[in-house]
Amino acid sequence: MISLSAIDRAQAFRYAGMPTVPDGHLSTLADTCEKRLLSAISPRYCERVYPLSRTPEGILCTGTSLLLTGRDIAAHLAGCSCALLFCATLSQGADFAIRAAQAEDVTAGLLTDAMASAAVEQVCDMAEAEMLAKLPEFHATWRYSAGYGDLPLQIQGDFLAAVDAPRRVGVCVSESGLLVPRKSVTAIIGLSKEPVERHKKGCTSCNAAETCPYRAKGAHCK
Amino acid sequence: MTVTTLLGEGFLMLDGGMGTMLQANGLKMGGIPELLNFTHPQQIADIHRAYIDAGANVVYTNTFGANRLKMAKTGHSVQEIITAAIANARAAAQERALVALDIGPIGQLLEPTGTLKFEEAYDIFREQVEAGKDADLYIFETMTDLSEVRAGVLAAKEYGDGKPIFVTMSFEENGRTFTGCEISAMALTLEGLGVDAVGVNCSLGPEELVPIVQELCRWTTLPVIVKPNAGLPDPITGVHRFAPERFGECMKPYVQMGVRIFGGCCGTTPDHIRAAAQCLQNLTPVQLEVSIPAAVCSANTTVILDMPRIIGERINPTGKKRFKQALVEHDVDYILGQAIAQVQAGADILDVNVGLPDIDEVEMMRTCVKAIQSITSTPLQLDTTKPDALEAGLRVYNGKPIVNSVNGEEESLNTVLPLVKKYGAAVVGLTLDKDGIPKTAEGRFAIAKRILDRALELGIRREDVYIDCLTLTASAEQEGVMETLKALTRVKQELGLQTVLGVSNISFGLPNRELVNKTFLTMALHAGLTLPILNPNTESMTAAVRTYRLLANHDRNAVEYIAHYGGETPAAPKAAAQSMTLPEAIAAGLKTEAAALTSALLAEQSPMDVVNGQLIPALDKAGAAFEAGTIFLPQLISSASAAQSAFEVIKTAIAQAGTDSVSRGTIVIATVKGDIHDIGKNIVKVLLENYGYTVIDLGKDVLCEAVVQAAVQEHAPLVGLSALMTTTLPSMEETIRQLREALPEVRIMVGGAVLTADYAEKIGADFYAKDAKEAVDIAKQVFDV
Repeated sequence: MISLSAIDRAQAFRYAGMPTVPDGHLSTLADTCEKRLLSAISPRYCERVYPLSRTPEGILCTGTSLLLTGRDIAAHLAGCSCALLFCATLSQGADFAIRAAQAEDVTAGLLTDAMASAAVEQVCDMAEAEMLAKLPEFHATWRYSAGYGDLPLQIQGDFLAAVDAPRRVGVCVSESGLLVPRKSVTAIIGLSKEPVERHKKGCTSCNAAETCPYRAKGAHCK
Repeated sequence: MTVTTLLGEGFLMLDGGMGTMLQANGLKMGGIPELLNFTHPQQIADIHRAYIDAGANVVYTNTFGANRLKMAKTGHSVQEIITAAIANARAAAQERALVALDIGPIGQLLEPTGTLKFEEAYDIFREQVEAGKDADLYIFETMTDLSEVRAGVLAAKEYGDGKPIFVTMSFEENGRTFTGCEISAMALTLEGLGVDAVGVNCSLGPEELVPIVQELCRWTTLPVIVKPNAGLPDPITGVHRFAPERFGECMKPYVQMGVRIFGGCCGTTPDHIRAAAQCLQNLTPVQLEVSIPAAVCSANTTVILDMPRIIGERINPTGKKRFKQALVEHDVDYILGQAIAQVQAGADILDVNVGLPDIDEVEMMRTCVKAIQSITSTPLQLDTTKPDALEAGLRVYNGKPIVNSVNGEEESLNTVLPLVKKYGAAVVGLTLDKDGIPKTAEGRFAIAKRILDRALELGIRREDVYIDCLTLTASAEQEGVMETLKALTRVKQELGLQTVLGVSNISFGLPNRELVNKTFLTMALHAGLTLPILNPNTESMTAAVRTYRLLANHDRNAVEYIAHYGGETPAAPKAAAQSMTLPEAIAAGLKTEAAALTSALLAEQSPMDVVNGQLIPALDKAGAAFEAGTIFLPQLISSASAAQSAFEVIKTAIAQAGTDSVSRGTIVIATVKGDIHDIGKNIVKVLLENYGYTVIDLGKDVLCEAVVQAAVQEHAPLVGLSALMTTTLPSMEETIRQLREALPEVRIMVGGAVLTADYAEKIGADFYAKDAKEAVDIAKQVFDV
């Protein structure tokens, strides 16, 4: 089980639309939100490694119904024999904390939501490090999620089934394709016995590329 | 063969893993296992038979996911699948074992985190229960959400022909399920609903489950089920690692705890069940005396009534014009604000009274119970005189609530107590009847006794009956004060019941009410009061309860007392500094100061002068700074929030004066069907309200038809829709299409992270609002104010 002791404040404020970390009353409010959020969440993740079969329709995670379609995921997994699939979540406690904060104060709601977004990224970083440490024989790419580039969000159901996420970490997909609890992430890391380019998450593969306020100003979020 | 007779003989052995056996037979590779009931009936029956041969008295049908959502793409109805599965199990069982209809989680999360409504969940389970009438019993397993379990159990109770109902939930090592459900809450709630056995399955191995089952055995008098995995799985391969012998050995300690029903889950095989059965062979069941304390709960919090607990009284329209207005306007957010404030002030339980002559109380009770439970885990007391509103609240309440109230009149006893029994609630009994409130302690005690006897007759536990000996007003009936306390002490000592008392009524008509209330509260606590109903926001009252808990040795080592009063004295909200103006307080985002300054201004100016002369200019300034990039979203929202607290003061003043507030126009807003991301929409709402627009907020995951209906009903010239995900944009487009069809004149603005101006135009919106500030600009343009 992963435990988180502090939330990346700078990242959280960036998610909330603020390029710098403020002081004064917003900082005090952020302290309260952080404390309540950290006590409400139970971060957890689950993972599976699958060999990959390349088919005309896309890349199949062998032994599952999960078919990864599109050019972008093919590029991401180029040279990889296996993929590490994982699902990380802050649990329903995060949703609860966000709702409670909103009921009290809309600013607290905004900050708690942004902090939860930052927190789940931190959980993914920690989970990734833990998982890759157990797979020393492999070289790994960065983590890629449904919704990036042309990899459709519609694969979430099969993805969750492939890692048994509903039973192992309590993450489901709603009828409209959203992960619930909300602060949950699924990701694919390519694994290869030979060195592979790790790549980095960039703006071009981001969903928000077109509307990103940071990009509009020639900057980026991270 | 029935469950009762089987249990009477000793232990009951359930089967082991179905998925494990399907996999071992090469049958489960990414497919839908329930379809194997048609394609491989023989193999399924063979698995059942292997478990029975190994010693299982009950087999679970291969129907874990056989609900209409998961089976939608199979081309088979739920009825067909369940009928086939029961036939396969029956073929193997013959007369040697019972057949349990296995019901797993629906696979979608329920509201408020997910989008599946409680009522839909009930209907999905009802279909399974009805389809499975040929089974001998119903088993709900691997459940993690108490609300989902409740929906299932209610369906099985109402459509299951009285067949036994077993429930097992899956707990993590921290003693909670994924949704945060506590073991005690599961036990209290499910025993209250009348299930036949409760327990745990899956998630952990038999060694890790020991402390969880120990806790469960302390909280239930029902037979307890343990159905663990074959140890913990290998994290990468998912393979469970306990050999049968080791698994079997692990069953022994559970017998000492009083467990009588065993089985296996993931990774277990007939060999594991055989080993478990052999281990139990020479043991006899241990019958433990369990005494469950008086307690109420939500799914995530159990409140034990082993010391005085505060019931917050503020969610109640009586004598509160602003609250009445909120009910009439369906302003649930206002009620949620009242809930949060009381919890933070120290309430242990919240009373919920949302009755008003002109509103639909049934719908309001249902809505409020769901909404309040979505933001606080503090247990609730449902307070209504209408049985239908009471049942609506009881049905959706997730946990074990208190019903407020029943009284000594026949009609009340006959209508309220059966509902209390059916839904497993606790109940407050008022010591009055058709002749009114008896003057003497003896008279009230007699009614209390009558209520208790009737409750016991219906099977309601003694611990779940709380008596209110009724506070009379000291200014009118001074001699009655001590009679109330005398009756209270007798109820506590002679009947052994919990006692409830609304405290604030004592001081009606007297000066310095707080002093009278606090003194009476202290007297009542000493007389044996456990559940004072009071306003927890009045610090002296909450402090009196905390102090009593300290002095009566409930608050051991003064932990709670010191936590509240030991550190630095909490700084009193800064009195609005002379030097600060309302616009400055708003610019700085200071809520308390903004409210205090507004109160001061209202002494000299009319509400509308304050709004137009101070609030709106301050907001305009913040909006302009935001557009110019000198302040950012959190700061803009913080200002809006401070302005909101100023508006709250103004609204209260207007409600008290009885004058109508002036609205700049009505706007309907919603986060579209399928989308649950509503932060952006809520920010827009606050800003629009700040500018004086009446905002009808339909919430998140809103049906297209509901948006149209509200726009028609409210004659709203402007509708705002939000969506965060690409997957929910089609439902935004559909909502716009339906709006256009019903209301050609309506103007529609849209916003959300993935939207662009081009896309907004493409799907037929009139405006694209890139942020909340722009939403206000659009409203000004549409309403021309």
